Formats: sequence, structure tokens, C-alpha cells
Amino acid sequence: MTAPAGIALSGLSKTFTGRGKRIEALRDVTLTCPPGSFTALIGPSGCGKSTILRASLGLEPVDTGRVEIAGRPPAQATAAGLTGVAFQDAGLLPWRSVSRNIALPLEVLGRDVGSATGRIRDLITLVGLSGYEDALPGELSGGMRQRVAIARALVSEPRVLFLDEPFGALDQILRRQMNIELQRIWAETGATTLLVTHGIDEAVFLADRVAVMQANPGRIVEVIEIDLPRPREPSLFSAPHFHELCDRIAGVLHGG
Amino acid sequence: MAGDLRRWLPPVLLLLAWEVAGRLDLVASGALPALSEILSRLWQDRADYPAHVSATLAASGLGFVIGNALAVLAGLIFVLSPVTERLARGVNIAIFTLPPIAIAPILTLTLDGMTPRIVLAALGVYFVTMQATVTGLTQYDSRAADVVRAYGGGRGAVLRLVRVRGAVPAILSGFRVAAPNAVLGAILAEFGGGGRFGLGAYLLGSLGRGEPDRLWGIGLAATLIAGLSYAVFAVISRRMLGASLSLSLNPAGPEAEAGGRMSPLIGLGAVAMPFVLWWVILWVMRVPEMLGKTPWGVFDYLFLAEGAPVARERLLAALAETLPITLAGMAAGLAFAFGLAVAGRLTPTFTRVFLPVAIVTQTMPLVALTPLLVLLLGRGTAVTLWITISVTFFPAYVMIAQGIAQVPRAALELPRAYGASGWRELRLVTLPASLPWLFAAMRLTAPRALLGVMIAEWLATGRGLGNLLNQSRGYLDFGMIWTVAVVSVMLSVALYLAALWIERLVMTRKGIGAME
Repeated sequence: MTAPAGIALSGLSKTFTGRGKRIEALRDVTLTCPPGSFTALIGPSGCGKSTILRASLGLEPVDTGRVEIAGRPPAQATAAGLTGVAFQDAGLLPWRSVSRNIALPLEVLGRDVGSATGRIRDLITLVGLSGYEDALPGELSGGMRQRVAIARALVSEPRVLFLDEPFGALDQILRRQMNIELQRIWAETGATTLLVTHGIDEAVFLADRVAVMQANPGRIVEVIEIDLPRPREPSLFSAPHFHELCDRIAGVLHGG
Repeated sequence: MAGDLRRWLPPVLLLLAWEVAGRLDLVASGALPALSEILSRLWQDRADYPAHVSATLAASGLGFVIGNALAVLAGLIFVLSPVTERLARGVNIAIFTLPPIAIAPILTLTLDGMTPRIVLAALGVYFVTMQATVTGLTQYDSRAADVVRAYGGGRGAVLRLVRVRGAVPAILSGFRVAAPNAVLGAILAEFGGGGRFGLGAYLLGSLGRGEPDRLWGIGLAATLIAGLSYAVFAVISRRMLGASLSLSLNPAGPEAEAGGRMSPLIGLGAVAMPFVLWWVILWVMRVPEMLGKTPWGVFDYLFLAEGAPVARERLLAALAETLPITLAGMAAGLAFAFGLAVAGRLTPTFTRVFLPVAIVTQTMPLVALTPLLVLLLGRGTAVTLWITISVTFFPAYVMIAQGIAQVPRAALELPRAYGASGWRELRLVTLPASLPWLFAAMRLTAPRALLGVMIAEWLATGRGLGNLLNQSRGYLDFGMIWTVAVVSVMLSVALYLAALWIERLVMTRKGIGAME
């Protein structure tokens, strides 16, 4: 085990200027995710959730503030292979088979793909796609593609996992299944996870803490601790305390 | 079964009608022979063909390879360095618009043997493939690129892992469209050159003898070569792409790279570049001054030299003949194409039958078509007009019809869902949706219209710029050969830019970006 890897965002601000209008995408966003924790980021469309995630990965520059992943700036942390990511859109390369798509991060990181064959096969099994190793993305359904993206996010054995609405395009049933799977994967790997979502129940089911955002300007208004015991079972979705927490978050979301 | 019948019936009927009309000499007193007559003549002439076909194939094949290699390389450079792309824009537009027939004489006078044919074939494929490469490399899936960048991948990694392979379908379709151009270029160079072998030389040699069945045979052979080259790449791209095509890519492409305004200096450089290149090529190849006119040489010939007023007068007279008919033919061809494509929305069966026919004509080399039209229509002005109309009509029709086909079903069905009639739906959705395609077609067919007119003038009517070029070639009037070449290229560029300007104007007013 390497040194514990958390996420520390401090004072992130970003302003877009488009067509003469200034849009304050982020204002003074500070968030600390302790090593091994699961944090959900929830908020209305356009509140800057995805911008936070992209900034954490160094995909988007910020005007002010600092990002540290395992104590390092994002460019260093990502190039060192500490991070894994899955976006809302699977973003698979249509000419690569499922296994070769999953291997992509290894190639970018300059790691040996050949020695990871077994691991890739295990990941394919983990996301329930056994038998589809050589299928092309065009032959898969939307849900299957999304699962490939999850497997791809895990292939580099990341210490920090970023998930940007990875189940946003899935139907409710599949989404529940994937939530249960994700909890299991997270427990097994122990990776610090930041999940961007707009599903309240998803956030409560999975996270240790839910950071609620509001738009104009994009900011975190409250961080709510989720004190539900783990492992969390599917039956939790109908437990009263679960709904209390959901209602509380909904209250903060609509609060003002 | 019924579907098969419906698919095969129209072409079979067409062939049958052709056969009957040809056998009975119904069209222009025998100018259109029956297919069986053409084929039997082909069989009689079979000893002639191998030498001609292989000469044309060799030149167009070599030109195709060289031109495409340069085009892919240039596309890559333009994508990596936008400034270079801006600087080369003038050269690119000139290469795209230049009527090959205008520079064929220059090439045959300054280069030896097969080289002119190869150069013209390469020039014919360059722009199409270059553009396809740029498009393919620019419109990549931004999400996939994000994934690469999220693991610390830089521009190089994104290019290597996402963009290059992602551009392959676009480049292959570029090859497919470019292949018939290579054949056309090689044949046009054969017209201007003195070589014995090649389908163009064969065609030219047979033109005076008034044997329709042989001319049709040569035309058929040329079309077949061009069509086969198109088909070969169609098959290759289908094989290579297979299932990988069916995944819809992220339609929100990456942001337009570093748009911004062109600095005036770069704009000036883009205009100057073609002239500089012209000068440099002459200098590097050590073309004798008498043969190779520099930009200054052409200026001198037109404005300063002793015979300048006469030269100007002849040029203007030729222009006065060529320009009106080019514009009229283009306008008629475009109007016809637009009307037919839009009306096709109301009668989908018509589009289903006619579109494939129109697509096939795209592979028919213009030069092979011209003598046939001459046979059918005689040597008057009518033939020029018809050639111009046909070279603008078919590509424009294909483009607009395919453009309309891309309108999302939901958008088409929305007015219907509110009980709108076919006409109203046409006015509300189809017409506005097809307008951008009309303008794109106008821009892309303008150079072809001029080429069509010049070929007709050269081969048939003995008027205008085409004829002036052909005459000057006979008299070895190098000053005039260069002048006509330069003027026709500039005219072509001007037509293109005018079309682009109108397109921008209308589209901006309508709030739609012009399609590059």
C-alpha cells in the first residue's frame, strides 16, 4: 500500500465569459475527501459539479484555488496513474474491442498491457460482460458500454476514482444494480471516490458524505454526513431513515 | 420478392429503352447506339484497349498515390498548425478550383512523358483527401479525448490514440471520392499531350471519325475504370469499418480550434502564396523563360508587351463568350437540382430510384461524357449549356438530396403530428433545412461548371476560353497559354469565393453557420 490518497480542493473559482455574459461557474469551492472515503457531489444542472471534477483531473484550468490529489497537483497525480475516471458518456473508441478499450489508460500511462491481460479479464467479469471481450462498442447496448467505461476506470488500479454521472444514461433498474456493484467495487479497492450525480437516492445509498451544490454562482452550500451502516443492502432503498436523509438533501437543494 | 422487383425494375426498364432507342436510331439519327452495339464494337476493338487502358491506369494510379500521400500529410500539418493552414488556404482553393484542362497544356509543354498526367491526376485528388483528412482529424470524440487526457495524455497521445484512427473513415471516403478525379485528371492531360496511348488520346483520335459506337465504348471504359476505383474504396471502407461505424460518436465535437480573426498579414500571405509557389516551381525546375511564364511574364504579355492590346482583346472576347454560359448553366443546374431534391420529399419513391442513378454519374469522367453529348446535341451552344447543367445538376442534386435525408425524422414528423399537409411540412422544415446544402452545392459546383464549359469549347464548339487555349496550344503562343490558364484559375477562384460570400451572407442572416 502506498501513502493514503485523498482529494483536497481549496478555494476553487472559475468564471466563463461567453457572448458578453459573465458566468460564475465556481465560487470558492473547498472540499476535502479523506483517503478511502466516498463523497457524492449533487446539484442542479449547470451548478458546476462536472467542472469541479474536470478541474480535479486537470482537464479544466481554474482561475484561483488549488487542487491536490494524494498531495500532488493533478497533472502529476494523473500521469502517475493514481486516478481513474468514468464520464457520463462512455467515450469508448469505436474501433477498439471491449478489452482493448479497457486497456486504453494503461497505454496512455505507458504501462505494459500484455501483463494486464488477466486483470482486464477479471474486470470484464466484474462488470458482468464475460463473453463480450472482443465485441466492438457498436455491438453493445448503452448500459453495457457504460459498464465498459467503469471497468476502464478501474484498470489502472487507481487510488482515487472520479465518476461523472456514470449511470446517468441508464434506466432505473440497471442503475440500482450498478449502484450495488459500485459499492462492492469501492469496498474491495478502497479507492477514494468522488461521484458527481443528480440522483439523490444514488448519492445517499453510496456516499459517506453528500456535498450539495447550487448554481449561479456554482458553490457548495452544505455537506451532509450519511451515517448509514455498511455494507448497505438493497432493502435500504425502502428504509425510513434512508428517506429522511433523501428528504433533507432535497430540502437543501430546493432551499434557496 | 416484391421489394427486389421494385429495386431492379427501373434500371432494367432503362436499359431496355436504351436498347430499343439505339437499335431504331431514334436519338439524333444514330448518335446513341444500342448497348449491344456498343458492346460488340468494344469486342471488335478489344486489341486496342489494353495499351490505352493500362496507360491511363498507370498515370492515374501513380497520381492517386502521390496526390493522396501529399494530401494526408498536408491535412495532418494543417491540423497541427492552424497558421500553416491559413497561409496555405490560397493555394488550397486554387488547387481545388483550377480547371485541369486549363493547365494541361502548360504541363505537357514543360514536363516530359507521363509526368503531366501524373501531376494532373495528383492535383485532382489532393483537395478532396486533404479536406477529408482535416475534417476527420478535427471532428473527433471529445469524450474519448478527455479519457486520454485524464490519464495524463498530451496532444500527442490524443492524436495517436483517438484522432488518427478516428480520421480513417473520413480519409477513406475521401479516397473514394478522389479516385474518379484521378482518372479524369489523367485523361484530361492526355487531351493536351501528344502521347499515343491512354483513353484520352484514343478518344481524341476517334472523335473526328464520327463513329458513335466506338466513342461510347471508350466512354464506357473510362466510366468503368472510375466507377471501379470508387467501388474498390467503398468496399475497403465497409470492410475496415464494419461494426465500429454503427456507434454514434459524441456529436458535440471539440470546440472549433483557435477560431479568432485572421491577421491581415496572414491573409495577405495566403493570397500571395499561390503566386510565390508558381514562381518558385518555375525557378526550381529551370523552365526556359520562353516556355515558362512567371506572374510578371503574364502581366507583361497582357499589359506591356507589343501585342498586349490584341492579346487583351482576344481574351476579353473569349471571356464574354464563356462567362455568361457558365453562369446560366450553373444557375439552371442548381435550380433544377434544388427543385427536384425538395420535391423528392413529397414523392420518396422517386428519390429512391433517382438518387443512385445520380450518384453513379458522379463517377463518370466528364471528358468521356462530352464527346457523347456532342454526338447527341451537335456542336452548337446548346451542347455547352447542357454539359454545364449536367455537371452542376448531378453533384448538386446528390448533395441536396442527401442533406435532406439527414434532417432528423422527428423534425420532419413534427408538423405532420399537428396535421400539416405535405406542402406545409415542405415549407416549414424541408426548405429551410436544405438551404445550407444548396449553398454548399453552389460553392462546390462553380469550378466544375467552368471546367465543363471549357471542355465543351475545346472539344466541340470552338468558342470561348477553351477554344482560345486549344488554338494557342496549336500556335505555341506561350504567353496566351499561360494567360488563359491564369485567368481561368482566377475566374474559378472568384466564382468559388462569390458563392462562399453569398452563402455566408444568407446563412448569417438566417443564423446558421456556413458549412466549411
